[in-house]
Amino acid sequence: MEFFTSDTFRTVLTALNTGFLKTLQLFFITLLGALPLGLIISFGSMSRFTPLRWLTRTVVWVIRGTPLVLQIIALFYVPGMQKWFNWPSGESGRMLAVCVAFVINYACYFSEIYRGGIQGVPKGQQEAGLVLGMTKLQIFRHITLLQMIKRIVPPMSNEIITLVKDTSLARVIALQEVIWMGESFMKGNSGIAGLTWPLFFTAVYYLVFSGIVTMLLGKLERKLSFFQ
Amino acid sequence: MKKFLSLALALTMCASLAACSNGASSSGNTSGSESTSGSGAGSSSQAESDMQYVKDKGTLVVGITNFEPMDYQDADGNWIGFDADMAKAFAESLGVKVEFQEINWDYKVMELNAKNIDCVWNGMTINDEVKAAMSVSDPYCLNAQVLVVPADKADQFQSVEDLEGLTVAVESGSAGEDAAEALGLTTVPVQKQSDTLMEVSAGTSDAAVIDLLMAGAMIGEGTSYADLTYTLNLNEAQGLESEEYGVGFRQGSDLTEAYNEFWASAVADGSALETANTYGVQESVILE
Repeated sequence: MEFFTSDTFRTVLTALNTGFLKTLQLFFITLLGALPLGLIISFGSMSRFTPLRWLTRTVVWVIRGTPLVLQIIALFYVPGMQKWFNWPSGESGRMLAVCVAFVINYACYFSEIYRGGIQGVPKGQQEAGLVLGMTKLQIFRHITLLQMIKRIVPPMSNEIITLVKDTSLARVIALQEVIWMGESFMKGNSGIAGLTWPLFFTAVYYLVFSGIVTMLLGKLERKLSFFQ
Repeated sequence: MKKFLSLALALTMCASLAACSNGASSSGNTSGSESTSGSGAGSSSQAESDMQYVKDKGTLVVGITNFEPMDYQDADGNWIGFDADMAKAFAESLGVKVEFQEINWDYKVMELNAKNIDCVWNGMTINDEVKAAMSVSDPYCLNAQVLVVPADKADQFQSVEDLEGLTVAVESGSAGEDAAEALGLTTVPVQKQSDTLMEVSAGTSDAAVIDLLMAGAMIGEGTSYADLTYTLNLNEAQGLESEEYGVGFRQGSDLTEAYNEFWASAVADGSALETANTYGVQESVILE
């Protein structure tokens, strides 16, 4: 009990909280960016214009086929080394670079889930819409979209839970998220050195947060079960 | 389909090869738009621009890791330590502000070349790899590599002969790795010096080789490694010279010369020793 009221515990917790705020920031920005971008990419990969379809599918192949950690390193260091441009200095530049890498990476995964969801809606329904004189946009909005959303919630939940934990990759370019902060107490931070428990303690943050996310996504899934 | 795939693969390979070659040749690369004239003149023109570059943007970005007593944070989150204080004084002598940026140590050269930081100033041991990739200042501090073992086995490891057949954990690419390999030990390279301690404490390695300065801060009473201790100074045991710390700048940078002059004047007016006394590293600092 004494341990939980000690100064050490408080210092570590403050540091981990600061780190976890960064984790959350990265998580929500990635979701906000990747959800719409993924839909756009999925349209590209279903396009009837062959060059666009091939281009999009190549991009998706490259992004899904290489490790995210490599994409982060490349995106952050290569522009400066090639003298194309420099990221803003300081922590904000690192966060920006990591967010861009995560949004692109996750949009590609999401796009395939969207594609599955859209192509899973029976073609007959679209034809029925056409017969009724609906435009393509109307068909998408009133017939496909709702059924797609319903279908994609379980696979999306999977990716979103993975995203919670993938945020830890950002520490490769020294973004100080929660695992970086946990590790910092091994080597020394705020006058505390040689502690290993803060690193393992970060698991609590991930567990609680992914628990909340799972619960919310479960709620959404039940809400969307109106066709049964 | 086949044609397309082969084209795509060829493109990816070209891109990756280009990235590699540019990374290796760092400053004087051919595609760079900033390095203009021939090789000899080119390096000096870049050197001029590096100090000017820092002065123009008004900040010296110092690449560090959290490394007591060289660079660490006080209770208010300000960076202090022997290196941090000297970096502040150096920036002041240039007339620019100082900005500390924590980096991933494995990527220090890339951070420099990508201009995310302007120097590496974090108790960096000068070795051949560092000298090949950066412009390194005159040494300002001495260091040694020590052997870390479980305290209850300390009496078994008092000389180099005792180390035969040991598996030792080392930080990948560190001076400790070189020292262990020079002794012919089986090494387990891990990511950080702190990870080597976890190896020893978990029993997955017999011992670890890390910096003396670091061992002083990270093991013993009041840490998670109270059951670890260090026994052997590998530099003394092998009759090697001590290692030296230096500050790393971009290749061909004239900031290195500016730093050397700054350090000489800081030694001359006693401010270097004063700062060293503040952080208890006066025994290690080179005051000549």
